[in-house]
Parts: sequence; structure tokens; C-alpha cells
Amino acid sequence: MKHLLIFFHFYKTYIAWSFIITILLGFVDSHYISAVLTKLFLTIFAWYITNETSNKHKLTFYKNLGISIRTLFISMFVVDSVLTILIIFLFKI
Amino acid sequence: MVLEVDNIELNFKNKRILNGIYLRAETGKVTSILGSNGCGKSSLLNIIFGNLKPKYKLVRVDGKAVLKPLYKTGIIKYLPQYHFIPNGISIKTAFKLFGVDWKAFVKTFGAFEKYASYKVNKLSGGERRVIETYIILKSKSNITILDEPFSHIAPLYIETIKTLIKEEKKQKVMLISDHLYKHIIESSDAIYLLKNASTKAIKDLKELEDYRYLSEGQL
Repeated sequence: MKHLLIFFHFYKTYIAWSFIITILLGFVDSHYISAVLTKLFLTIFAWYITNETSNKHKLTFYKNLGISIRTLFISMFVVDSVLTILIIFLFKI
Repeated sequence: MVLEVDNIELNFKNKRILNGIYLRAETGKVTSILGSNGCGKSSLLNIIFGNLKPKYKLVRVDGKAVLKPLYKTGIIKYLPQYHFIPNGISIKTAFKLFGVDWKAFVKTFGAFEKYASYKVNKLSGGERRVIETYIILKSKSNITILDEPFSHIAPLYIETIKTLIKEEKKQKVMLISDHLYKHIIESSDAIYLLKNASTKAIKDLKELEDYRYLSEGQL
């Protein structure tokens, strides 16, 4: 439960941008695989930007809770991909 | 518990920041690092926590080398110089996530009672610092690192923080660094001076003057 709450706080920073991109992917009638690959690329990009800017200071909070940054971004990718597939599915019906 | 840090080398481009570092800290003692601006104190603390990857390092806990970043072991808490609690988090949630008792906090810092439902970014910089310092000090851990715990805090709160450090050192390895050297000296059981990229164990406070960290008569 605690880990879920921590993950939610991390994910909510990215959720608005992710949702906008998912809607765009839905409008262009994206294939599931290409949508997930887009999300993979964006997750890696977010990871890179966070590590290379002062945003990496924010990661100390999660590290203090014993959570690795890799775990956070991988969890974000998995949850985000599931949500993306669901939204694109809704666009297709 | 004994924490040992050895053989650290850190370079930024061609500049040598740390070289030939040795530091030993143990439960029951407050170990402090003093040094002038830009000497590498925060870099050293970041390396110990696992935030910064140097060229070489050896971190040992109870004589055993720890190869992964120390934060991944879950035994360490670190108060950095900057605000580390993300802006959108409420103060009570932060206490809950770190398993720290809000009521006990309010008992010590009564003026903060009204802030329970506030987001951390609604507080002043000093108030936020008090909360972050308290959370790190009171969280369950074996090693606590405090980078500038006395800076930006009101004098009255500094005394309370010093009392808390004294209480917590009984069950934790405490490693602290600050420019407010008088508070550091008062709180410390062991002092290291970081100068010319390496650490020097200070046995007599007079050495701080000899190494020109303090000027003559400043003690």
C-alpha cells in the first residue's frame, strides 16, 4: 500500500503529459505496439531528462524511501502502457 | 554499526574534488565533516548515500563492503541541502510515508500543528527545512546523513534539532556537515576536516586553526 502511494506521487507528475499523448495516439488510430513503443521512448526520454537536470534532486525523496529510480520508471512504463492500451481500445470501438 | 568510507576518488572534468578519503562513523557517535565552500563535503555525502558515482569508492558497513548504492539497502536516510520532499505532497502524507509520528512532532514543534493538511510548498523555506530535518532524523534507519541541518533554521529550533540528534545517535550512525561550525563542534563526537581533497581526522580543535579552516582565536 505504501509503495503504491509512493508510486502514485511519482506518476502524477507525468500523468497529464502522458494522457495528452495517448489521446493524440488515439486520434491518429495508432496500433497498440507502436503506441507502447512511443511510451517506451518517452519513458526513456523522461528518465534521461530527470537525470541530466536539477529534477534529479526530486529523486532523493524516493531514494530515501529505499526505492530505486529504475524501479520507479519501469513501474511507470508498465502502468502507463496498460492505460494507453485501454484508452486506444476505447478509441477503436 | 560501523560505517567506513575509503579510497574515494572524484573528478569533475580535470578538477580533482576528492582523493584519498577515509572516514569512520559508528553508532552512538556524531561524526562531522567540516570544510570550506566547494571542498567536496556534499559530494562526499552524496557518494556515501549513492546519489553520486565517483571514479573509485569503497563503502563498508560493519567491515563488509557494500557494492550497491547504500540507499538501495534501505538502512540509510539522507537530508540533502535542497528541499527533497516533492511539492505536491501534504505534510501529513510525508510523515506517513516515512513512518514518522505527526503527533510527536507537534508535541516538540507546537507552532506547526496548523500545517497538518498543508502541502510542503506552502510553508516557508525554514519551516520546510525543520519538517524535512525532523522526518529524516526520526525515520527508521541505521545511518543518518544530515547536510547542513542547522542552516536556514531559527536559533530556537536549532537547539531542538541538536537535542534530537543527541537522542537519535544512540541507535544510529550520524554523519553531519554544516558551516555553522560552533553547532557542529558542540554536537560532534568525532570531526573530520576536508581539505585539499582529502580528510584529516581532528583530534584537537586547535588543529582547525592550524589547517586554516578557522582563523586564530575564532574557537
